[in-house]
Amino acid sequence: MLVAWPGGAWAQEAASPSSTALTQSDISRMLPPTDMGANRPNPHAGMQAHPPIGDADTSTATPFDAATIPVNPLMPDADPIGAKTCIACHAQENIQASHTLHVASFRAGAANSGPQAACETCHGPGSEHAKNPTTPGSIIAFTHDAKTGPEVQAGVCLGCHAGGARQHWTGSVHEMRQLSCTDCHNPMARLSPEGVLAKPSINEVCATCHQDIRAKFNRRSHMPLPEGQMACTDCHNPHGTLTKPLLKTDTVNETCYTCHAEKRGPFLYEHAPVRESCLNCHDPHGSNQQTLLVAPLPMLCQQCHTMTRHPNDLQVPSNLGNGLHPDERLMGRACLTCHTNIHGSNNPSGSRFHK
Amino acid sequence: MRIDHPKSFAALLGMAMAACASTASASDTSGTMRVGDMQYGNVLDPRGWTPMRSPADPDGMSYLHAGMLRTPSGALYPYPPKVDDVKPLGQGSDWTYEGLVEFGYIHVGGDKNAEFFRQYAGWKTGAALGLLALEFDNRKTGQYVEFRASHLSSDDQYYRLRAGKYGSYRVEAFYRDIPHVISTTAYPLWNGVGSTNLTLPASLTPGDSTVAAVQQASRDARRRDLGPQRTRSGLSLEGALYRDWIGYASITNEKRDGTRLWGGPMFFNFAFPSTGSPFGGNGGVLETVRPIDFSTTDVNLGLRKVGKVWRFNAVYTGSFFRDHKDRLDYQNPFLISPVIGVPAAGLVTNGEYSLEPDNDYHNLRLELSRELKWRGQLSLAAAYGTMRQNDRLLPPVNCTGNLGFAAGPLQQIIPCANWNTSASLSQQDANARIDTQLLDAKLSFHPTTSFGWHTEVRYYKEDNKTRYLAFNPLTGQYGYISENGSQGTVVPGEVGIFDRGYYSTSNVQIANVPFGYDDTLFELGGDWNIGQKNTLSAVYTFDHDQPKHRERDRLDEQRLKLSWVSKSLGDVTLRASFEYGDRDGGRYNYDPYAAFYSQSLPGYVPANGVAPTAFTVDAMRKYDMSDRKETKGRLILIYPLGTASTVSGTFYGSRDQYGTQIGRQNTSTTGFTGTWDWQPAATTTASIYIGAESTRLKMANVADQETLIGTPADVDPSFGGALYPLAKYWQDLDSERNYNAGVTFSQDFGKVRLDLGWNYSQSLSKLNYTFNSPGALTYPNVPQGDQAFPNNHYRTSTFDASLSFPLARNVGLRLFGRYESGSFLDWHYLGFDDTLIYDHRIYTDEGPQTHYSVSVVGAMLNVKL
Repeated sequence: MLVAWPGGAWAQEAASPSSTALTQSDISRMLPPTDMGANRPNPHAGMQAHPPIGDADTSTATPFDAATIPVNPLMPDADPIGAKTCIACHAQENIQASHTLHVASFRAGAANSGPQAACETCHGPGSEHAKNPTTPGSIIAFTHDAKTGPEVQAGVCLGCHAGGARQHWTGSVHEMRQLSCTDCHNPMARLSPEGVLAKPSINEVCATCHQDIRAKFNRRSHMPLPEGQMACTDCHNPHGTLTKPLLKTDTVNETCYTCHAEKRGPFLYEHAPVRESCLNCHDPHGSNQQTLLVAPLPMLCQQCHTMTRHPNDLQVPSNLGNGLHPDERLMGRACLTCHTNIHGSNNPSGSRFHK
Repeated sequence: MRIDHPKSFAALLGMAMAACASTASASDTSGTMRVGDMQYGNVLDPRGWTPMRSPADPDGMSYLHAGMLRTPSGALYPYPPKVDDVKPLGQGSDWTYEGLVEFGYIHVGGDKNAEFFRQYAGWKTGAALGLLALEFDNRKTGQYVEFRASHLSSDDQYYRLRAGKYGSYRVEAFYRDIPHVISTTAYPLWNGVGSTNLTLPASLTPGDSTVAAVQQASRDARRRDLGPQRTRSGLSLEGALYRDWIGYASITNEKRDGTRLWGGPMFFNFAFPSTGSPFGGNGGVLETVRPIDFSTTDVNLGLRKVGKVWRFNAVYTGSFFRDHKDRLDYQNPFLISPVIGVPAAGLVTNGEYSLEPDNDYHNLRLELSRELKWRGQLSLAAAYGTMRQNDRLLPPVNCTGNLGFAAGPLQQIIPCANWNTSASLSQQDANARIDTQLLDAKLSFHPTTSFGWHTEVRYYKEDNKTRYLAFNPLTGQYGYISENGSQGTVVPGEVGIFDRGYYSTSNVQIANVPFGYDDTLFELGGDWNIGQKNTLSAVYTFDHDQPKHRERDRLDEQRLKLSWVSKSLGDVTLRASFEYGDRDGGRYNYDPYAAFYSQSLPGYVPANGVAPTAFTVDAMRKYDMSDRKETKGRLILIYPLGTASTVSGTFYGSRDQYGTQIGRQNTSTTGFTGTWDWQPAATTTASIYIGAESTRLKMANVADQETLIGTPADVDPSFGGALYPLAKYWQDLDSERNYNAGVTFSQDFGKVRLDLGWNYSQSLSKLNYTFNSPGALTYPNVPQGDQAFPNNHYRTSTFDASLSFPLARNVGLRLFGRYESGSFLDWHYLGFDDTLIYDHRIYTDEGPQTHYSVSVVGAMLNVKL
């Protein structure tokens, strides 16, 4: 049994299961009578959405009953025609989409309430598209050649997905870069285990544009993204946040503390750049130094410390473990062998992080 | 992110609400609002569901066109998996199910203890559960139950259960183990590794062992793996509470167990090397091993209302960290002896660390936004957070008897009894607290389709309320005992104590520095759509930072970012940005810490009648406080090549100029990446990836004229002066080149599918240095060749191959293999393969393997349930 929208099986038989493009007449022949009628009054004249069909007090309907049918700015006079008409041609889409969480949830919601919370909930009223399927812009589309602009596309998605994690979408860097929701998501097929993503995993989605960041995770020290234990969205909310790097928390450090809670302290003795930002010393996306450090030790520390005596000497290869004068300031973990509590010390004798 | 549609949640959150249809227009769960646990996978299957992706549906997404459609930016969507018939759970049942289990046997051969092979991977020879996925759906009610699990080994596994009803609620529970290997070549010579008490083996005498005996103990030490293991479990609930009010609650517990490399200072060894005594030099440097025994409980509560006009978020985050081993005591084998040639008052046998204290964290954030006309939005946010800890403080030392020495006028005896109890502290508990405040207001409008603008003001404050005075009421002295009493045993006048008697000339830290800052950011931006295919934007940002107790009391940074998004160049989508930032600020005070040192106390007597030694050179500009000019550029291209392939590339670079003589001087990054993806049919996919990046970091410093310490000349902070002469100026230049490449190929021949993959990563880094004279070096008489360190490198190559073929209708077999090899060099560890003991230095970690090769082969039976 294939899970698909009612009518899908009929449509599948009607449509040729091949990849050959259909002609306009093919499509016209296949179209069944619309189940909502193109002659219905334009729902957008005076109201934003069809009211849910069925008695809300007695049905088992879900919030999807209230889903709106968005106006297609390129076809403002189009009318809804119902899912049965859509899937007369889009049979394969129906099969795939019905297998996704997105449409499965529609399906459940629409089971007792009618077909409007379906294809047209996202694609807008389909009457003009049904008449002229190849006319660009006849329907709200979300793919590369779509005439629909990204702001309209996002508006459709935000019709249901506003607020919450997308509270700060407006003005976010991804909105300003003209990204569409479907650059990262594809609700029409199950391409990912969850999140209706456009690729099989979160990290692959992000790497579509951020390839250089993905490459950093191949370095010697990295967080376990390549090993499948983490995702970019563990730290970042790509839909917009209160921080420039789209972090989920108020600051960089608060994001880091979520997994490294022992670094939160506060400590009796704080190390100023540590408390200020973990990024002063660490690159969270990967490093060729130990523990994600941005520079080799002791050079990292010597960028700030030149107090008298031991911090400011130039370290050279003869100070290595195989050199003439091995020096603890260079070997192994260098400065950290003594100033070990570098993230802060809670010891009364720990002002220099020795204790 | 799971697209669920919360509704009634009454039973779960104790809110008895009518089960009427909600009008909530908010969908989705709050997953992407919380940090962590967004991804469940492992090294065998990083995606966490790969076996469910095949076979791909040859009809793709539509009968109406060949191939797959592309994202708005031009990337191809992959072919979706072929949809199988779903099975009813019972006759007449509305519930259907589908599932898959993949299990089998894995064999690991070769250098299976290689650190980089095991870093986050729990590979082990034996049976493994690749994936167990079960999904149950009720297509009428929208209810569902999902379960996913994988068990690579007991260190690397996950189990997750989700259940709910679309549009109503969701419940999730999970358990996962995540390995993290830090070292596989650790040879700690102490007993009690993993505990709070490291004791020496019987062959060594605390505080009185010969170097030869320590060397033998190190040779006798057995190899250990070091690293923490994370075990996480959690429960979350989410659903609508009433009408369009949605709530969620989650609790997560994480246990971290294990060990990691740590330290053990007994004062310098480099300055006081062995002069031939079997007991070695004077100080001591110990690389020890600390325990990790953490648990963290995180609580998240959220409430949101999403309407057509108003949207509201309230989020509470609580995090409660507990360290079950809050100290590390360790024994020191070396004889710590005074440099003035007199016997020490006692043996320095013990050292101690305070490990991280327990802490509590609370954060409440309220967000409100309102839709405005002209596609406008007003968004307001406010957050208050506090992090606190009040752990019992350890005494300043854990020694007994007396340390130090007595020699004529140098009566530097440290009676441990005066410092090894909590009675020696000015307060018994840390009483540490930092409060944070965040206010954010953003206003945006798009009055026309071609123009929009936004403005934002953000204020963030971090208020450190911790106050600690290092005062010993037993002795009336200020300060502390430095390095477990070793410094005061080795060097006259450097115990760490200040008083009005013997230590009246000691300038030591006597109070904590409560660092904090107030940061105000203003932003104004606009974007213009030029035609249908070009968008230009400009954003100006002014960041005004007021650090507390830092070298500057004001930092101002102005940034301008210009962006261009174009789809006018054929099918290419181009995203380009250029950013320029200029940071300056108030007067740079190279020593803002005088108030926290004993020089600020009455009774302080400058040595030799002059001011304290210069804190640092006046030309130092710490890079987080210095002037900076920053330039960044980035170009991202996505080009649909034909109907079945995509070429994409990124070109990027940045330049930072810090404009300082001492400190970080400049950095630069230049790189590109290129990818070609090809999917001519559902049966065939291939990709090629290359990338290269070059980075440079240049810094400078100046060694001081140490012979002037204690003379009137040591007060001079000027660069080029007597204490910091130009002759001792030096520079380091760290250069890195990174290369990456990868190839994947997959072909489904019908009866068998072949998957191949190769990934290669290479990093080369070089550290060059220059100096004005050999006086910049600790040992000026050593010839300095080509003034460069040996080149570091990190190189890995991983080849994966698998063959999958059906055995029966719902049963398949996957044979797979991986060959991973790598090489590594880090000069920090040079010589460690010969010895880990250097005079009075003990090292524990030999460092990662310089070469390794590992093979993994396995057979996985794949059964569709």
